[in-house]
Amino acid sequence: MNACARQLPTSTLLDYWFGEAVADEAAVEEHLMACRFCSSRLRALVQLGDGIRQATRGGLVHAVLSPAFVEKLRADGLRLREYRLQPGGSVACTITPEDDLVVSRLQAALRDVQRLDMIFEDLTTGTSLRLTDLAFDPAQEELVVVPNAAALRALQQSTHRMRLLAVHGESERELGDYTFHHSRS
Amino acid sequence: MGYPAAVYAPSLPDDSDLARRILAAGERRDADAEQELCRRFAPRIRLYGRRHLRSDAAASDLVQDVLLLTLQKLRDGTLREPDKIASFILGTCRHTVIDGRRGGSRRERILDTFSASLPALTAEAEDAPDSARLAHCLERLAERERSVLVMSFYDERAAEEVGTALGLSSGNVRVIRHRGIEKLRLCMNGPLLHGVEPG
Repeated sequence: MNACARQLPTSTLLDYWFGEAVADEAAVEEHLMACRFCSSRLRALVQLGDGIRQATRGGLVHAVLSPAFVEKLRADGLRLREYRLQPGGSVACTITPEDDLVVSRLQAALRDVQRLDMIFEDLTTGTSLRLTDLAFDPAQEELVVVPNAAALRALQQSTHRMRLLAVHGESERELGDYTFHHSRS
Repeated sequence: MGYPAAVYAPSLPDDSDLARRILAAGERRDADAEQELCRRFAPRIRLYGRRHLRSDAAASDLVQDVLLLTLQKLRDGTLREPDKIASFILGTCRHTVIDGRRGGSRRERILDTFSASLPALTAEAEDAPDSARLAHCLERLAERERSVLVMSFYDERAAEEVGTALGLSSGNVRVIRHRGIEKLRLCMNGPLLHGVEPG
């Protein structure tokens, strides 16, 4: 079967998959059951989703996540090593073979922050990277960062700093810096 | 990762042609048509099962039950409208799922009643995404796209729940999710710009 003449939009496929308000869910299901092309498109999206889940569990993803999501990871049996830092704080950190993921909990006054950026500095090599427009919940007063565990395992002894910046229009204000002295275990 | 190659391959009989052949053969059985019908519908039934049951194992059971019942109805001539094979299969999926939720015994009845063997299911090729490439493509997403995709797909959470956790509206989550998955799909299908770090 070639491409479908009445292709369901990708947004409809996603809304359907996540059980959200699809205008006519019954019609979408009729179409998916009859249309090999669209059902294959949905299957490809679902397979991507399965891959995202596996990459997350495998520590292959760097992401800002919610505290509740981290609890879900723990409930699923993942072994988490956590570091909680106050603004200006530092910590000696590592990742061991027993750890699945490392979680950095950066305490910050996020209330009233409109846009949040992070500058990630490798103080050992002198390089830096700016991550823009992070997702965060202002009510939480902390930012939960889960770095790529595979990359952490490959790190030599080194020092890294995360700086959180509240951005408003052309101006920005530093909310805190957090220093990680990493050593291999 | 693209759509399965089989989607683009010309297929001679359509689904209702296959149903007609199985119906015509009756108990003599058209093994090739049965095999092909199962091969085509198993992935669609599995999707329906995962969507409604959120379990791979339960979805696999649903595939078996629905295909057994469908083939039996075609073989014994009680499914008289082969043109509506997809609708019949969808209706059977719905009833089976509802019956399962009620703690019903439909599954046992199906397995007990129809001892007919189900053709070995050869599903359409499952193109599991290359994990190293996927990790590379995830790194290339915008930060909030990655957050939203991970939190949406890890446990198949709706936009409202993800939005509440990240301080976003559900509408915003849906937009970010759509944009992120399209970028990811393009990256998985396109040439690598910066190579993939060795795993």
